[in-house]
Amino acid sequence: MTRLLRGEVAKLFATRLPLWSLVTAALCGGGLTGLLSLIGPENATPPLPGLGAAEGVGIVVGMSGLLLFVPALIGTIAVTGEYRHRTIGTTFLAAPRRGRVLAAKLIVFGGLGVGYGVVSSLFAGLAVAAGAAVQGVELGVPLADLVALLARIALAAAVYMVLGVAIGALARHQLLAVGIVLGYFYFLEHVLMIIPGVNVIHPFLPGGATAALTDFTFLGDAIAEQLPMAAASTTSPLVGALVLLGYAVVAAWLAIAIPLRRDLR
Amino acid sequence: MIILTVRTFSLLSNEYATEGIRSMITAQIEVSGLAKRIGDVEAVRDVTFVAAPGRVTGFLGPNGAGKSTTLRILLGLARSDSGTALIGGRRYAELPDPTGTVGAVLDLAGAHPAMTARGHLRAYCALGGHDAGRVEAVAELTGMSEYLDRRVGGFSTGMRQRLSLATALLGDPAALVLDEPSNGLDPAGIVWLRTFLREFAAKGGTVLISSHVLTELQHGIDDLVLIDRGRTTWSGPLDAFTARGTSLEEAFLELTSGVESSPVPTATATPNATEGIRA
Repeated sequence: MTRLLRGEVAKLFATRLPLWSLVTAALCGGGLTGLLSLIGPENATPPLPGLGAAEGVGIVVGMSGLLLFVPALIGTIAVTGEYRHRTIGTTFLAAPRRGRVLAAKLIVFGGLGVGYGVVSSLFAGLAVAAGAAVQGVELGVPLADLVALLARIALAAAVYMVLGVAIGALARHQLLAVGIVLGYFYFLEHVLMIIPGVNVIHPFLPGGATAALTDFTFLGDAIAEQLPMAAASTTSPLVGALVLLGYAVVAAWLAIAIPLRRDLR
Repeated sequence: MIILTVRTFSLLSNEYATEGIRSMITAQIEVSGLAKRIGDVEAVRDVTFVAAPGRVTGFLGPNGAGKSTTLRILLGLARSDSGTALIGGRRYAELPDPTGTVGAVLDLAGAHPAMTARGHLRAYCALGGHDAGRVEAVAELTGMSEYLDRRVGGFSTGMRQRLSLATALLGDPAALVLDEPSNGLDPAGIVWLRTFLREFAAKGGTVLISSHVLTELQHGIDDLVLIDRGRTTWSGPLDAFTARGTSLEEAFLELTSGVESSPVPTATATPNATEGIRA
């Protein structure tokens, strides 16, 4: 297994993917949060709570959670690239026990996902601090709370990357896999969130669990304001984290178990 | 079936030109009664042959005859419905050191265009559990040392084939399996490959090379296995095949068309001498 991990790490670092992932993480983490911090959430239309309030900080930092499909996409593109460039054959020749290959891949990308999350959260934290400094307001949350929130978003990023790898390993076709990831996070989950009756399962969908983990209910609340219905509820951050990890475990297990019997063509 | 693998030490092991191929544990390839259905098609119905150590075995048949499917099953990339395909007496997946036993040059085994050749070889060296020094050694063997730091995306087909062969040699294997390796190689490349495979076999290595072009194989092989519509129709030493009294082309067509007496259509009966038979 050590050999497989070393092989997957060597493969990963033979491309520029790690570098670009971290650059993307910095942009995604710092970008949206930074922009909103500088404008000042209270200047948005409709006005949002400012950075001086805990709620305002939560919304601004939580914005980086809206870009969690990015680490998922990185994982998906990386693993489907193995099929697209037909390197999966070379890989399975070197390591015929496919389950272990995919387990190693999931572990390595889990690691990259942690790196992504840490960089993304670091830049989001810096961005919100810079925004507050520019506006001359004190951040509405103690530093420890901010760090804890950022750490939870970082964890979510790592889980999303593992989810992305698993979806890629199952779908194999690059465009199909990217379509599944984007289609789900951009469309399907939001649809499920607003259908009355169905939206009771929302807390247990990946997006709902993420919202619980990151205390980010902005979208659900905004939808609830527009529609005559109660906001889709969320669970506690801990339950959200467990639900999200559960998805990662199930997806990883499927990704390890299903490709075992498939023929390569 | 029990295969005894014999440790043989070649007297030629220190020969300069093939430095890097060590004396090897031999690995015979044995395929027996192999069958596989893909969808509605019986891709492989009854394939049986042996590729022996120290010999280059040509695996010849028209397109769609089942060559690639057979090789994929042999290499554990696809599953058979019945029959066995063994290397040194074991299935590929059961080999303790797969890439150290068999090297494969397959259409299916590609390289990532964003990687340099060195990055690619390092990664698969680590994955196969081989010594990192093998990267330089296989690059030397396949004549691609000066290309090591170029990205694979810019490689010609010929360079890709060399990289594929270099990857196959990382584990210093006892057997080489090559699926249509001459595709995309220029004439000089084909001669180089033929010489390389002969030297590999001379050291006790097993070579199994597939092609749909008869003339491509006839100068470089010791044994011939013919496959047509999923069945092996002939196998044995090339000498015995050519001693049948007919020309190679006629014998090939007779054995792959399955109709011995009926006249062969003119289009395929007069094959282009330089291209060989393309079915």
